[in-house]
Amino acid sequence: MFRARRAPLRLLLALLATVLVLGGCAQASYDNPVPGALPIPAVTETGAMANDLYRFVLVIATIIFVLVEGLIIFAVLRYRRRKGDDGLPVQTHGNLYFELGWTIVPFLIVIVLFVLSYQVQTKVDARSANPGLTVDVTGFQWQWTFDYKDQGLSFTGQGKTGPEMVLPTNTVVHIRLHSNDVIHSFYVPAFFFKRDVIPGVDNAFDITITNAGTYTGQCAELCGIGHADMRFSVRALAPADFTAWVAQAQEAAKNTPSPPPSGPAPSGATVITESAASAAAFDKKDLEAPANTPFVIAFSNTSPPGVPHNIAIQNPAGGDFLFNGQPLTQPGQTVNYTVPALPPGTYTFICIVHPTTMTGTLTVK
Amino acid sequence: MATTTLPRAAGYTRSSIYEWLTTTDHKKIGIMYVTTAYIFMLLGGLLALGIRADLWTATSATGSSLIPAALYNQLFTMHGTTMIFFFVMPMLAGFANYVVPLQIGAADMAFPRINALSFWIIPFSGILLFSGFLLGGAASAGWTSYAPLSEAKYSPGIGQDLWILGLLFNGMSSILGAINLLVTIFKLRAPGMTMLRLPIFVWTVLVTQVLLVFAVPVLASGLAMLFIDRNYGGSFFDPAAGGDAVLWQHVFWFFGHPEVYILILPAFGVISEVIPVFSSKPLFGYKAFILATAAIGILGFGVWAHHMFATGVVFLAFFSATTFLISVPTGVKMFNWVATMWRGKLRFRPPMLFAVGFLISFLIGGLDGAFSASTPVDFDITDTYWVVSHLHYVLFGGSAMAIMAATYYWFPKMFGRMLDDRLGRVHFWLMFIGLQLTFFPMHLLGLAGMPRRIAEYAPTAWQPLNQVATIGAFTIAASMLPFLWNIFTTLRRPADQPDDPWDAYTLEWATTSPPPPYNFDQLPALHSERPVFDLKHGPHGGAPVAVPVAVSGGGPA
Repeated sequence: MFRARRAPLRLLLALLATVLVLGGCAQASYDNPVPGALPIPAVTETGAMANDLYRFVLVIATIIFVLVEGLIIFAVLRYRRRKGDDGLPVQTHGNLYFELGWTIVPFLIVIVLFVLSYQVQTKVDARSANPGLTVDVTGFQWQWTFDYKDQGLSFTGQGKTGPEMVLPTNTVVHIRLHSNDVIHSFYVPAFFFKRDVIPGVDNAFDITITNAGTYTGQCAELCGIGHADMRFSVRALAPADFTAWVAQAQEAAKNTPSPPPSGPAPSGATVITESAASAAAFDKKDLEAPANTPFVIAFSNTSPPGVPHNIAIQNPAGGDFLFNGQPLTQPGQTVNYTVPALPPGTYTFICIVHPTTMTGTLTVK
Repeated sequence: MATTTLPRAAGYTRSSIYEWLTTTDHKKIGIMYVTTAYIFMLLGGLLALGIRADLWTATSATGSSLIPAALYNQLFTMHGTTMIFFFVMPMLAGFANYVVPLQIGAADMAFPRINALSFWIIPFSGILLFSGFLLGGAASAGWTSYAPLSEAKYSPGIGQDLWILGLLFNGMSSILGAINLLVTIFKLRAPGMTMLRLPIFVWTVLVTQVLLVFAVPVLASGLAMLFIDRNYGGSFFDPAAGGDAVLWQHVFWFFGHPEVYILILPAFGVISEVIPVFSSKPLFGYKAFILATAAIGILGFGVWAHHMFATGVVFLAFFSATTFLISVPTGVKMFNWVATMWRGKLRFRPPMLFAVGFLISFLIGGLDGAFSASTPVDFDITDTYWVVSHLHYVLFGGSAMAIMAATYYWFPKMFGRMLDDRLGRVHFWLMFIGLQLTFFPMHLLGLAGMPRRIAEYAPTAWQPLNQVATIGAFTIAASMLPFLWNIFTTLRRPADQPDDPWDAYTLEWATTSPPPPYNFDQLPALHSERPVFDLKHGPHGGAPVAVPVAVSGGGPA
């Protein structure tokens, strides 16, 4: 009797295990994650805890799912009215003990779930007094800037893949979130975490990454037409490699040219003007320039604070840009980009920070 | 049957268009509500097909998606807004309008003219909302319209203002309707129709109207503030001018979460009418069900910030606890429905098919909601396709399935004609399979990190499940064809249905199909929440009795 009762339970557990294994496999690639019943394996300490919590909730939910759907399907099959059977079934109005049972048992289950959640939540929300590294994240329509203030490094996303945040593993990293325009959300699926980036709110969180690797992230809060373009990536390095990377990046930053003068353009060259009042579009979509001679684009950025732009001219044949105006023009600045001589033709120019929304046509003749 | 049609009063004849335009009859108004809501459902469905078509293919870093982001954002904003405010809400208001006075033995609503007003606001506010498409772009900040994105600086078009105005008028209609239904339920019940003999549908409508009266004014105030921000230099929600961006979310969700229960409680009511009738048993645990409905109504006002866990500025523990708690009374209902079917004699006519489809789907929507109550899990899944899946399992697998059940169930009462069973079964299976195909894969996409509201995605690994979802969406669209054909052909047949074709329990089945103006010429005696059952089988074995309408309340208003 006792043994006979256990068989269905074992079957249920076996079924559950199959579902979990089938659903959870093949998550190898973080930049092209294969969907399954389990989330992408978390690579942070707290993410792993939350991942385990997810598994626990999934097991409970699956048991309830199988039980209740089983009851529904059983009732549907077992109690369908047979032909010619027009008598009334027993008119049961209720049963106090059953009703108390299915109130109290779920109540106890949710209390357990709440307590477990609360414990993990405390760890996810914990702050270290001495983080090993602080990174300031600024989200703006529709890119990210990552500032390493203590290291004197700053990276603004360019192109459709966005910026890369390089972090050391096994180190508490303190990440502060800022926005000057609308709400964004800093979401890295491999962290099993996101936090909103809200103008006027100083949000921050701590993470400790356990596995070296590259993990993609993107904005998770609707922020306008370029929302899907707000991608970025996180590259986690062993602490020694990270120190080496910082030194290298600082060296590279020293070697980039300082901002060009925003004063008068070089004499003799043709000067054309362009401006951008927002990240949605250039103010002028069509520009004209002389052929076979260098010319200057005087570019004014009149966008809200925190939103840089530039002008980059695409090669009609594909490949690298013919011209990529560097450094970026910050809001309030006017920068003269000197473009090398171009043969006659029609070119597409974009803002490298907003490649989807800010495009225009340059006619050279 | 105990009743007959009242002899028509002699009088002048009016054209039927004039009659429908000027009617204050709750049944005609109810039918107009339901029809309008179905039209908006088809519009909202078309917008959804656009969304799903766009997501058919992954977009490489250099390519561009089928629908440009500027239009895509309008599609999902208008889809959500339409389905919530112009499909489910007026639909349930319509069924409440039609059914509640009949079920409580009243002649009409308490305020018939206000009833007509609250209906006529709906199509006009819907047109206001949709006119954005023709005036330079509809609203595109999401159905939640989070500030500051919805501020004039970031959404300069008139579409957002039309969205605000459309919802303000829509809310006015809801409040008028809610007060009307509350007064009707409290004051116009027939003698003997005590509160604990009210059909469950009436109870769920009652609690829903209370939620509306408390929640909708909060949304209205938020909308007014946003309108002032956008047009008159206010700065309630603009941090750049000293406002608070999170304030909008608090205001919106203080309305928005009770709204979820506004959309689902009457659906619970429908299911609690259909399952007992088609199981030939009473609802298991009638009083527990009322208690659970009230508990959901109260707890529903204490969970709003679970939409905002990722903002980092809400008291996580409190909202996590209340969110877990609210699953308990919802679970109670699920068990009540299953126990109602237990040892019954189940008839699988279309209303019952949709009711079982509701049980199977809504259970998924309830269970995947529990993940969001767990804050560390919610940090990952919020604002991903997991949430899209969850909300559609609740609103489509829940509300929409119940609306279909209600349509098939009350159609013979409304029109005296029975919708075809075979077409109804085709409709059910297409819709049920389409629903699972569309929304189940979204759980997995969310876990793989796909955010909601993105016009394009790069990972090719997300493409197969997105294509499954798109096929599902078009399957749902296909299910509308047998449904509409069914309605079209059935309405052309003669009205030949008896008063009580389903062998049902509640008072609307004690009058003719369709009922005469002012509903009843006499009412059966009321001994329980199943007066028509008592009439057929006797209350506790007693003989059927009928009382004339002259002594009953709820005379012509």
